[in-house]
Amino acid sequence: MSEISLNNVCKSFGGVQVIDGISLDIESGELVVFLGPSGSGKSTLLRMIAGLETIDEGELTIGGKRSEHLAPGQRDVAMVFQNYALYPHMSVRENMAFGLKNIRMPKDEIERRVNDAARILEMDALLDRRPAQLSGGQRQRVAIGRAIVKEPAAFLFDEPLSNLDAALRVRTRVELAELHQRMQSTMIYVTHDQTEAMTLADRIIILNDCQIEQIGTPMDVYLYPNSRFVAGFVGSPGMNFLQAELSGTAGKQQAKLGDGSQIELSVDLGPGAYELGIRPEAVRVSATPAATTGTATVVERLGERTLVHLRLEDGTELIAQDGGHSEVKPGDLVHLTFDTSQLHLFDDKGRAHHAK
Amino acid sequence: MTPTTIKRINWVGGIFTVFTVICAILWAFPIYWGIISSIKPEDEVIRPYIELWPETLTFEHYWFALTETQIGTWYINSIVTAVGVTVLTVSTSLFAGYAISQLRFPGRTALWWLILASFMVPTQVLIVNHFVLMADLKMLNSWAGIILPQLIHPVIIIVYKQFFDQVPKDFREAAAMDNASEWDILFKIYIPMNWGVTTALSIVIFIWAWNAFLWPFLAVTKTEMMTITVGITQVFDAFGVYYARQLSAAVLAGFPVALAYLLFQRRVTQAITLSAGIKG
Amino acid sequence: MLRNAKRETLIAYILIAPFVAIYGLIFVYPTIDLFFLSFQDAPLIGPGEFAGTENYERLPRDRRFGTAFWNTAYFVALTVIPGTLVALAISMGVTRLSGRVQALVLSLFFLPYILPVSVVFRLWDWTLNFQFGIAMHLLDIFGLDRIPIFKTTTWFMPAVAFVTIWWTCGFSILLFLAGLRAIPKEIYEAAALDNTSRWRMFRHVTWPLLWPVTGLVLTIQLILQLKIFDQVYLFSQGGRPNDNLVMVYYIFQRAFVNNQGGRAAAIAVVLFIMVIIISVLNFQLMRFSERRK
Repeated sequence: MSEISLNNVCKSFGGVQVIDGISLDIESGELVVFLGPSGSGKSTLLRMIAGLETIDEGELTIGGKRSEHLAPGQRDVAMVFQNYALYPHMSVRENMAFGLKNIRMPKDEIERRVNDAARILEMDALLDRRPAQLSGGQRQRVAIGRAIVKEPAAFLFDEPLSNLDAALRVRTRVELAELHQRMQSTMIYVTHDQTEAMTLADRIIILNDCQIEQIGTPMDVYLYPNSRFVAGFVGSPGMNFLQAELSGTAGKQQAKLGDGSQIELSVDLGPGAYELGIRPEAVRVSATPAATTGTATVVERLGERTLVHLRLEDGTELIAQDGGHSEVKPGDLVHLTFDTSQLHLFDDKGRAHHAK
Repeated sequence: MTPTTIKRINWVGGIFTVFTVICAILWAFPIYWGIISSIKPEDEVIRPYIELWPETLTFEHYWFALTETQIGTWYINSIVTAVGVTVLTVSTSLFAGYAISQLRFPGRTALWWLILASFMVPTQVLIVNHFVLMADLKMLNSWAGIILPQLIHPVIIIVYKQFFDQVPKDFREAAAMDNASEWDILFKIYIPMNWGVTTALSIVIFIWAWNAFLWPFLAVTKTEMMTITVGITQVFDAFGVYYARQLSAAVLAGFPVALAYLLFQRRVTQAITLSAGIKG
Repeated sequence: MLRNAKRETLIAYILIAPFVAIYGLIFVYPTIDLFFLSFQDAPLIGPGEFAGTENYERLPRDRRFGTAFWNTAYFVALTVIPGTLVALAISMGVTRLSGRVQALVLSLFFLPYILPVSVVFRLWDWTLNFQFGIAMHLLDIFGLDRIPIFKTTTWFMPAVAFVTIWWTCGFSILLFLAGLRAIPKEIYEAAALDNTSRWRMFRHVTWPLLWPVTGLVLTIQLILQLKIFDQVYLFSQGGRPNDNLVMVYYIFQRAFVNNQGGRAAAIAVVLFIMVIIISVLNFQLMRFSERRK
């Protein structure tokens, strides 16, 4: 049964459409990530589910209950804010209990829930401190604790890691994944960071321009992007895009690149001009003459692999991947091979067509 | 920089420091002199030469002021009216500032403009009309009559509005997710989060109200209803031409506010800079 | 944010109600009443008759009004700029200090501001007392003649201005200190690396960066001193009030001594308009200089 479902919801701010007819079902126990650049409407969508923004049109069902007209507190969801919004004048315990006291929950029940949450998050020792006495990571946990005690149908996270430093962000990401495993609760997580989305999500919902661009598992989205936008947004370093001229008949086609080189491939498309997309790991450095050659401009060593930034003869730039012990130096002329099964072609509407 | 120039600068700096300290002592000297004179016997006070410390130390003038004059009554009047002004000003300004900052309602902009406009109106020009109004309301010679016209402090609302504006809206949203009512948000989140400002503003309003002269002076004709700032200068036969007695009364009148300042220096400083529109 | 407009309006009205009631009663109503009263031939208490602009027409010919007006102007001249300069000098001295010494020195300079005007009056009346005042002993030491300061018209205003500066300086000092603290240390360090002398440092770094605060202090002082009454009244007791009149004092005199509410209101309106004009001018000036940035 789906825990949260949106049916054709719309929203506009003073005449500007920000959410344009989105429909979506989120299953119970699922961790769904809304991924998109800023201005894509991902935060607005989350806030509409939370009740912090009105829903102009469409239906919202949470736990089988129509909710678009309910007040935020009555929707059975809990939210973790980007800046945590911990009440600075209350202790950690009071912060977590505040929402429960407001619905007049019995004291011993509040006590039990707060203690349970503290145990889950390993912060028993912090309960009587004020937010100002906590580190960034600890505050983050309190913010999550404040959500947990409500035992909600779904947790909403609004870019919860963006205020942490890089090392802490990675650790907290793992902790969140662990928490989700343990609690098996429904979570919606908003981020603009594709790594967070890839690592955490059961399903990623990619938003662009007020609409859903693609829904899929992380690997689906990575391997089979629906569009030029998704292809460019997911993956780091980003996909290489090259201009290509497609010719030949289905099953045996050639794509001619800007520098004149030809790549053989097979795709369900007629001849014409397309944009060719290929991820850096599908462009390999070859010892022998291959599909094309380029001049190395920058060599980034990441340890287990090396990213080689290249310029083709016609000036097109692209990134290739080589092993950790790559011998390529800036200025070298490098032979390149393309993994033709990992090619994508994008038509003038940005729709993707994957090579077989 | 060579060592000698560093030394020279320190030396000049030292002179500046000493000079500043001496100036500060001279600046506060009249206060010291007033206090010292009030604990000298009356005949020592009028000796024709300077004695920086009393030969005989006496508290007889204080005893006189406290037992033979109405200063006790004036004290009570001052406390009641200053506390009244403080509580009423702070509470009404806080609520109004909150409403203007956080709520949307018809008339909000008009109200804000009224407050900004009243900022420019000097209350001294309203004394005649205040007097007539209080006479009509039969409030002359009463605590209420002293308090009411002193409640015009638009700057307090402005300060509150600024502070409430600065509270990130996340808190309001978090509270909404926490099922907090509009009243909970005000009383359990916004007010406690801004206790510091409230304390600071309360202290300075108390000091202002305690020190008020013009209006309490006009509103009261009966000696038993006077505040201490009015009483000690307007009831001539209370102390006679006894300088030490007059000074002891002045010390008693200044003591509560001076104490309030010395105890809450930081808060007073903060509130005063805030009231001038500078973020402390 | 999801809002219930009706409920929100209701709550807002409940919250502003006490304020609006008080403001209506003691601010809006008296302000309107002031203008009506100024066109009436009325006693302080009781009904008056409409008198047209007579109350205003009298003013240019009114000798006491002239005294009050020029004394006020004189007093403003004696206090505003000198007071601001004194405050600036003191805050430059205080800001160099640190820790406990700074706190102590600042509180010595600031303490007078906290005191009620009656206490300030008593202290200086005593310090400058003709017979026994310590200041007179000093005059004796220097072989100068004693002066009955507050009984002498020439000395009255300068002396009251001096006491006023002493009394209110603390306020301006606080503002200057806040302004000085807001100037980033790096600017001074950069200037020091450029071998800037103390005076040039002040002239080219501190002074321009402090100018907004200086402007603020000047404005606040100007408006404050236009409204002077308390000190002048207290020091005039037993002296010559008619020579020492200032605007608010004259309002008081007309209304409460001469029982002429209408005429007092007319003077009040004049002062009112003066303050409004200065406030508006100042507001425009600030906007102008802000736009220039």
